[in-house]
Amino acid sequence: MSNIYNPKMSRRESLKRIGTMATVVMVGGVPVACDTAEPEVNQAPVTPSAGHWPDIKLDAITGPTYGTDPIVSNPTAPWPLTLSEAQRDQVAVLSDIICPADDRGPAATEVGVPDVIDEWVSAPYSGQQRDRVQIINGLQWLDDEAQLRFGSSFVATSVEQRIEIIEDIAYRSQIEIDEFELPASFFSRIRRLVFGAYFSSPEGIQDIGYIGNVPIAGDYPGPTEEAMEHIRQVADTLGLPPITEYVNR
Amino acid sequence: MASFEGFEYEVIIVGSGAGGGMAAHVLTQAGVKVLLLEAGRDYDPVSETPMFQQGHEAPLRGVSTSDKNFGYYDATVDGGWQVPGEPYTEATDSRFMWWRARMLGGRTNHWGRLVPRFTPADFKPYSTDGVGTDWPVDYDEISPWYDQCEELVGVCGDNPGLDDTPSSSDGVLLPPPKPRVMELLLKSACESLGIPAVPMRRAILTEPKDDREACFWATPCGRGCSIGAAFQTTTSVLRWAMNTGNLKIVTDAMVKEVHLDEAGKAAGVTFVNRTNRADVRVDGDHIILAASACETARLLLNSSSETFPDGLANSSGQVGRNLTDSLGAGVSGYIPALRDRPKYNEDGHTGNHLYIPWWDREGQKDGSLNFSRGYHFEVGARFSSPGMGVAGRVDGFGKDAKDEIRSSYGTSIGLSLRGEMLVSDDCYCEIDEETVDQWGIPVLKFHWKWSEQEINQVAHGLEWGKKIIEAMGGTVNNPDRTAEDAIEAGGQIIHEVGTTRMGDDPATSVCNQWGQTWDVENLYLMDGGVFVSNPHKNCTITILTLAMRNASRLAEQLTA
Ligand SMILES: Cc1cc2nc3c(=O)[nH]c(=O)nc-3n(C[C@H](O)[C@H](O)[C@H](O)COP(=O)(O)OP(=O)(O)OC[C@H]3O[C@@H](n4cnc5c(N)ncnc54)[C@H](O)[C@@H]3O)c2cc1C
Ligand code: SF4
Repeated sequence: MSNIYNPKMSRRESLKRIGTMATVVMVGGVPVACDTAEPEVNQAPVTPSAGHWPDIKLDAITGPTYGTDPIVSNPTAPWPLTLSEAQRDQVAVLSDIICPADDRGPAATEVGVPDVIDEWVSAPYSGQQRDRVQIINGLQWLDDEAQLRFGSSFVATSVEQRIEIIEDIAYRSQIEIDEFELPASFFSRIRRLVFGAYFSSPEGIQDIGYIGNVPIAGDYPGPTEEAMEHIRQVADTLGLPPITEYVNR
Repeated sequence: MASFEGFEYEVIIVGSGAGGGMAAHVLTQAGVKVLLLEAGRDYDPVSETPMFQQGHEAPLRGVSTSDKNFGYYDATVDGGWQVPGEPYTEATDSRFMWWRARMLGGRTNHWGRLVPRFTPADFKPYSTDGVGTDWPVDYDEISPWYDQCEELVGVCGDNPGLDDTPSSSDGVLLPPPKPRVMELLLKSACESLGIPAVPMRRAILTEPKDDREACFWATPCGRGCSIGAAFQTTTSVLRWAMNTGNLKIVTDAMVKEVHLDEAGKAAGVTFVNRTNRADVRVDGDHIILAASACETARLLLNSSSETFPDGLANSSGQVGRNLTDSLGAGVSGYIPALRDRPKYNEDGHTGNHLYIPWWDREGQKDGSLNFSRGYHFEVGARFSSPGMGVAGRVDGFGKDAKDEIRSSYGTSIGLSLRGEMLVSDDCYCEIDEETVDQWGIPVLKFHWKWSEQEINQVAHGLEWGKKIIEAMGGTVNNPDRTAEDAIEAGGQIIHEVGTTRMGDDPATSVCNQWGQTWDVENLYLMDGGVFVSNPHKNCTITILTLAMRNASRLAEQLTA
């Protein structure tokens, strides 16, 4: 049992350790756009021109998918989770570095983000399998880097030491630095997943201020007076013609 | 009268989507008995629609996968860009994407419900600009049927009176919902550029109608609408047709061939029962094909005989030809002025409340444009339920990044160009002699090639999309993208039509203006296959209207 992160949902099946042999490149016949709501161009990890990268080759997960006619009113995911405990601990630590608790909302781990990441990388779809290769390698890179710099695993380093590493890979501009190209791409991807999982959780939806998904009787109310006043000002500032509200009928 | 499982009927309809559903309604209301054959499974939107379920309740937060191409909750059963066991192929160097669904109601369960009318010029493209072919009908003949169809379907919108937006008669339309702030800003920005932004017409009930409820301003319509406020045949026309007692629906019935009798009339069809793979033959006095433009063409081409060696009703050689889709491209951007804006409920009817109709017919007339026809922009811009894409722009980590997402969420806008491509000899479908589907039925092979007309139109749209977003004080994502990169694949906009076009001349068309095939007098076509051209306005309200009109004529003849 992990002493860092306790899953918010029970595992659907006992853990399967990922083999680290075989050389399978996962590209299905499926267009990239089909696997992520808003696809981000990602390259499968390659040998870096500088620095180090574990370049772990993974067999694509090919288990059951939910199929083309799932019972959408009662969702279930049929695939087993595959991250090892150590990997989940790393994801947990990383998730909270990316998305810490603050005055407006909880931390990533408090809303179960690592579970979502585990479900994501374990899903037998080509986009998720591409993410899995990047993420498993990225997690290993963090450990290797921590070993090189501080002589211990990533989760065993101090908070300051972790941040020191993260500061080197957390910005898109660092993708241009040879030595950090692959780790920084990895970080960009996991940041997207962590924040996506956080803000789509019930707590995150509230945090971001989404108001909706509730039935309203009668006409659609439209913008509040405050929102109308704001948009009038925006138009004014931009030098645009005044906002005119549409009259129905 | 023929009979199946003890049910006596006169007419067979193949397909229960827009065309087939409407035809079934009209005929059964008139007292005609109908056997409806649908390849997909039975589907009940009332019990099956995941109305309020949220992303976090679904696997992978509900994002698109190869199983569910438009997301977990989308109301597509056994379909999307691929149907399991039912492939299609593309010719070398051709890219075509074909969206299908295998369910009662077909694609009407998850379509966008955007329903602009065609204009008088749209029906007479050749007379207007000397390119293409005129339809055998004109706007004046169709417009009363548009009224009747809109009235039946339930369409919200208004009549801005522009040359690209023909008006419905008084009292036909339901009121459009109020625009949201992003749309108001867009309208103001468009005004500054001298172009219009007007209410989108959608097949959404904004007031209760007959036995259907009004939209309650929540839940994405692509999942289907269990209360019947978003038009789909399964909650309206098919239900009403069943209530007459004059309809029998057979689902899991994949029709593979239409048979002729000795006199050269259509005698019946054979379908594969998908549950036990058995072939079943049924007879009929009149046969209506409404399996969708490409499926209907496929069925005709697969129904060859001694009389019709090149496919049934294909003496013109036009079956499968003249395939068009809407032209598609997207321009998106970021509007910083809307950061941290006041929050309110922006769900509305979950589609776009405003759109930008085509504004430059004059430019065509005076020759200042390097393409024919035109396009419209659909608008995607609302503060919707957050999903996996929220962190697309953000950099760094920690509280700063978290705050940045909070501030910038809801500031992106997407303009989707939907344009008119020209009918071309390069774009068609035919039977792939080498491939059959899991039922042993030969599949379609698609040929596709964009011409300069389409590239030029997209280039124009990219430029104007940028102008509009910049007028809103925004910046465009990918400003350097070329039209060649931006243009979407053939079929990708899911407005494929034209494969069995109507006309005045049996030598150059498959059917007459009533959808009656020239070659076989009791065989009718009632889907988008009959279109002569593909104006940029989304096609389905015209499919529904033509099916209503042409089924009404058939009903009159059968009940006379
Ligand atoms: C996501 C999406 C958004 C869309 N948005 C819009 C929009 O906003 N506005 C618009 O105008 N249009 C839109 N469309 C397009 C619209 O859905 C189609 O134009 C319309 O449904 C076509 O009607 P149809 O009757 O020809 O075909 P379908 O609705 O596809 O119905 C055909 C039916 O026939 C069945 N069938 C096929 N072959 C056979 C066979 N051999 N035997 C028996 N049955 C068969 C199919 O299973 C299907 O149920 C959209 C489509 C999609 C998928
Ligand atoms: S937004 Fe309205 S019309 Fe669309 S699914 Fe929800 S209730 Fe139905």
